[in-house]
Amino acid sequence: MKKGVMRPGHVQIRVLDMDEALKHYVDLLGLIEMDRDDEGRVYLKAWTEVDKFSVVLREADQAGMDFMGFKCLDEGTLDRLHEDLVAFGCAVDVIAAGELKDCGRRLRFRAPSGHDFELFATKQQTGKWGVDNRNPEAWPRGLQGIKATRFDHCLLYGTDLDRTLELFRDVLGFDLAEQVVTPDGTRVAQFLTASMKAHDVAFIDHPEPGKFHHASFFLETWEDVLRAADLISMTDTSIDIGPTRHGLTHGKTIYFFDPSGNRTEVFCGGDYHYPDHEPVTWDADKLGKAIFYHDRQLNERFLTVLT
Amino acid sequence: MNNNKQICIEEGTQTAHRISLHEQKVGFQARPDVSVLVSMERAGQHLIAVGCRGGGCGQCRIRILQGDYFSKRMSRAWISSEQESEGTVLACRVFARSDLLIEPDPPEVGSRCQAAAQHDQ
Repeated sequence: MKKGVMRPGHVQIRVLDMDEALKHYVDLLGLIEMDRDDEGRVYLKAWTEVDKFSVVLREADQAGMDFMGFKCLDEGTLDRLHEDLVAFGCAVDVIAAGELKDCGRRLRFRAPSGHDFELFATKQQTGKWGVDNRNPEAWPRGLQGIKATRFDHCLLYGTDLDRTLELFRDVLGFDLAEQVVTPDGTRVAQFLTASMKAHDVAFIDHPEPGKFHHASFFLETWEDVLRAADLISMTDTSIDIGPTRHGLTHGKTIYFFDPSGNRTEVFCGGDYHYPDHEPVTWDADKLGKAIFYHDRQLNERFLTVLT
Repeated sequence: MNNNKQICIEEGTQTAHRISLHEQKVGFQARPDVSVLVSMERAGQHLIAVGCRGGGCGQCRIRILQGDYFSKRMSRAWISSEQESEGTVLACRVFARSDLLIEPDPPEVGSRCQAAAQHDQ
């Protein structure tokens, strides 16, 4: 049942070198620099997003994800969800408006998977980049590189998938859209959605909590994914795998790494989910096909390379 | 066009260093401007595990037993400052400044998904 959580709003990613990172996220991926703050963080967005920013980069001595934030309907929804999170057993930190520039108060909590998440309802809306909201043209000129259209989801590796599902389903109103299950019934992967998308956030079972697998950005067409692959080769960017298709969600995809080792995905297509849909299930003994539909075999790197 | 020629001249004048594995008769050449890990990949060798190639994931951890090198920032999740000062580094962030003697030191990670995948293969 929906609880007023709308969509992925932002992700804060730690990078080892900001200048190198901006070459990746701006020049190659095609995000747009929107702002910087006193801490040296850089705020980016993809061109179709209406809010001011969706990706925040922070220079640090470890790569990985600081937190992922979801945007909620309104401030009243935040108040209700605050109570529900506490009742579930989460410790909730209220982060004051303005700590992230032009973003309202945020509720920060740690999921049983070991990842920090945030809920917020207010962020400055600068509108889609380069197109008007009235009689809009199809796309703006002046985009760079891969021309990512939106921040779509994160895949996270961590502990206690069952309790994490309870938190996201029962408290935050996400649906389980797809899953991977072992013969003894243990769920080892879960793809969760607060919308019609196949995933807004996904988790894979891992002995170490709080690990980051990738942040994903949406493209319109398979041709766009192939063009991304060309740009990744032209720039000698570290590649993981692709272009290929996933069995899970059926998205068409390519994975590559930022200069600090954080994985980036760009993808197109994929399944949709309505609240009356039963979860799609893949058996763990078909995991190769579930993850890489064409090779039908996992590369070790996809499961073990995390930040 | 000039630009391309310039790159060729630079590549030609740089001395490659020999990277050898401790107690093994294998190794590869590494130019000073290409990381030890990518040099290994370009030589078609599989002596060190390849991960993100960006100093973040820890897969290509090695110990440098002999030789001089330059290193870029590496994630503290995998290399403490003590380890760094004792020559434990990530091969993707290290550039040879002389011949090097190295030893792989990969971290251990594993998951139930990985176990299922190995069963699958």
